Amino acid sequence: MSDVIDRGGAWAVVGAGPHGLSALKNLLQLGLDADGFERDTDLGGNWNFHAENSRVYESTHLISTKPFTQFPDFPMPDAYPDYPSHWQVHRYFRSYAEHFGLLDHLHFNSEVVSVTPAADQRWDVTMRDRETGDETTRQYAGVVIANGHNWWPKIPQYPGQDTFTGEIKHSADYKSADVVRGKRVLVVGAGNTGCDVAVESAQNAKETFHSTRRGYYYNPKYAFGRPSDQTADLLLALRLPLALRRVMFKSVLRLTVGDFEKFGLRKPDHEFFETHPIVNQQLVYYVGHGDISPKPDIARFDGSTVHFEDGTSAEIDVVVFCTGYLAHFPFLDDSYLNLDGDHPVLARQIFTPATPTLAVSGLIQPDSGQWTIAHWQGMLIATYAALRAQDPQAAQRFYDAMVAETGVRFTGGAEYKDSTRHYYEIAHQEYLRAIERDLQRIESMTPSVMAAAR
Amino acid sequence: MSRLRRSSKVMRLWDWSVPPTSAHREVLSIVPEGWIDAPRATRKPPILFVHGLAHGAWCWREHWMPAAAERGFPVYAVSLRGHGDSGGRKRLGRTLLRHYVHDVMQTITELPQQPVLVGHSMGALVSQLVADRYSPRGLALLTPAPIQGAAYEMPKLIRKRPLDAAKVLAGGTLPLRAEQLFTGLDEATAARYVDRLGRESPWAQYELLLPHRIGPVRCPVLVVGTPDDRVVDEKAVEVTAAAYGVDPVWLPGIGHDLMLDGGWEKALSVVLDWVDERC
Repeated sequence: MSDVIDRGGAWAVVGAGPHGLSALKNLLQLGLDADGFERDTDLGGNWNFHAENSRVYESTHLISTKPFTQFPDFPMPDAYPDYPSHWQVHRYFRSYAEHFGLLDHLHFNSEVVSVTPAADQRWDVTMRDRETGDETTRQYAGVVIANGHNWWPKIPQYPGQDTFTGEIKHSADYKSADVVRGKRVLVVGAGNTGCDVAVESAQNAKETFHSTRRGYYYNPKYAFGRPSDQTADLLLALRLPLALRRVMFKSVLRLTVGDFEKFGLRKPDHEFFETHPIVNQQLVYYVGHGDISPKPDIARFDGSTVHFEDGTSAEIDVVVFCTGYLAHFPFLDDSYLNLDGDHPVLARQIFTPATPTLAVSGLIQPDSGQWTIAHWQGMLIATYAALRAQDPQAAQRFYDAMVAETGVRFTGGAEYKDSTRHYYEIAHQEYLRAIERDLQRIESMTPSVMAAAR
Repeated sequence: MSRLRRSSKVMRLWDWSVPPTSAHREVLSIVPEGWIDAPRATRKPPILFVHGLAHGAWCWREHWMPAAAERGFPVYAVSLRGHGDSGGRKRLGRTLLRHYVHDVMQTITELPQQPVLVGHSMGALVSQLVADRYSPRGLALLTPAPIQGAAYEMPKLIRKRPLDAAKVLAGGTLPLRAEQLFTGLDEATAARYVDRLGRESPWAQYELLLPHRIGPVRCPVLVVGTPDDRVVDEKAVEVTAAAYGVDPVWLPGIGHDLMLDGGWEKALSVVLDWVDERC
């Protein structure tokens, strides 16, 4: 089909996960027209358990509590627990979409296969109907990319890995404990998924080894009877200096969990806040019960044996690489996202210096809840889109000011460890403060943006 | 003098680190038959009523809810915690306006689509605080508690009703009597309504004295006052209306509780006509 359907001033949103939904909702709320495209038959993205690219597993729960994880204009139900399950999260996204009338603007089973530039900084978006295979192209004033960055597995390579006689899996294929039940298991990686899988393996496998590159801080979900992330936010709100917060966090960890080394875990080789926080109260418990044997990095594979860097080895039936994901934009020429090697370098993790009508939402890994940030990213993008429609020159000034800050990181003063895992890491309060300032700037540029809105 | 913020408030540190507790909510509703199956684009929007100081959802159920449902609107009314048949009575002494905002937000998320918020008196202030974070379809403020804070009213209250003023300052509930709330009701009916009034949180009352900054509010706003209001004076209504750049609609002859007083039909039609026309 060569006919391009002109969608006028409308924006396209790629993906109907939480960031896509938020972008769509805020665009519509500010009076713009918008279409959302989702390759699956349902919304929710990563949280749509049965979707091909969903990476949540049966036991997934949030690792941050509701207050700053939820959309600020659509709180999670009081009936939900502090740390809701992925089932509840999915129901929550559905009721958000229903409440704000997003379903009429969402196209399911529609895989975006290409986003290419058209004249006047517009974009041709081509989608394939996953049932019929038919392709259609529509032209938009702008595109919000919200296809997520936790679905394209990053698989490491160790010497001898190809000769390993056991099974090798990535956490992307891990949907439940069935993968490990009754087996000798090696879990690789101490991200939050790695720790969850290690714990679940401890409960179900014959033996569990947990290989990590370094020692980490394993933070409890509760400390002193309160969700610990809420206490952390209180300390941040008080604007205590980083050094003092480090001392306080480490003391609390020492008081509530204890000395990691006494459990046989390695001492962290880095300062607090230098790696993405791990929130897992059970890992240390199972290490203490001998159900998880901590191991350093893998040295090599040899038949059914895995050798570790400290010279020890173990017989393994199944390896689960919980080694994370890489961002992947198969529908777009990478040059539009200002790639540095394998990852985009953006302004506010949203705007790309390559073009003013492309915005990214969700390319963040906050040290806290995600969807409060999703809301404000969506709001900033929508306000910018509305300004472009009304006063292109003012919008250009705002865009220029934004991309002048391309590559600026929001680390809360810490130096993140060099790892693909920290490409998109942000300190949530510092980041949100920046977004608040951006909104101040752009909302004061055009009072009419507000007047135009419903 | 703008009382509205020009840009969005992102940082809600207090809500993030010490979130409001939950309480059982009483939500009354009447949904006209066939409404839920009608197309979203053409059906009338839901209306959510938020009551005022010491009142409860019951005050809307008396006349307004059935009459509005009769006109095709799905109507809902929530009792804020510690009021009506909602929970949280024991904790009323520790309740702040933010808890009421939480109760209204929770109620909103259970509605099938964005409602028009109709707030009365203290409920009008709570509704504005809700609109500070959520975009309702419309915002109707009826005899609203002053956005600039009611502190300026204290000298008058001390002069005219010193015992009431002392009671409020000591943490008691502001006494609301029939002659303050109604102008056109027979004695027995007025007494029946006054009997149903409950207690108010002392902290929420203190917060009513303080100025509030909200916004940006992007939806249509209606402000309704009455010159015969003996609880909220005309100045409060005017300042609130000015904050949103609208002219207040005045309904002479009706008292503060315009959903219960004689003449409630007139007040309701002002609100519903506005919803039909603007929202």
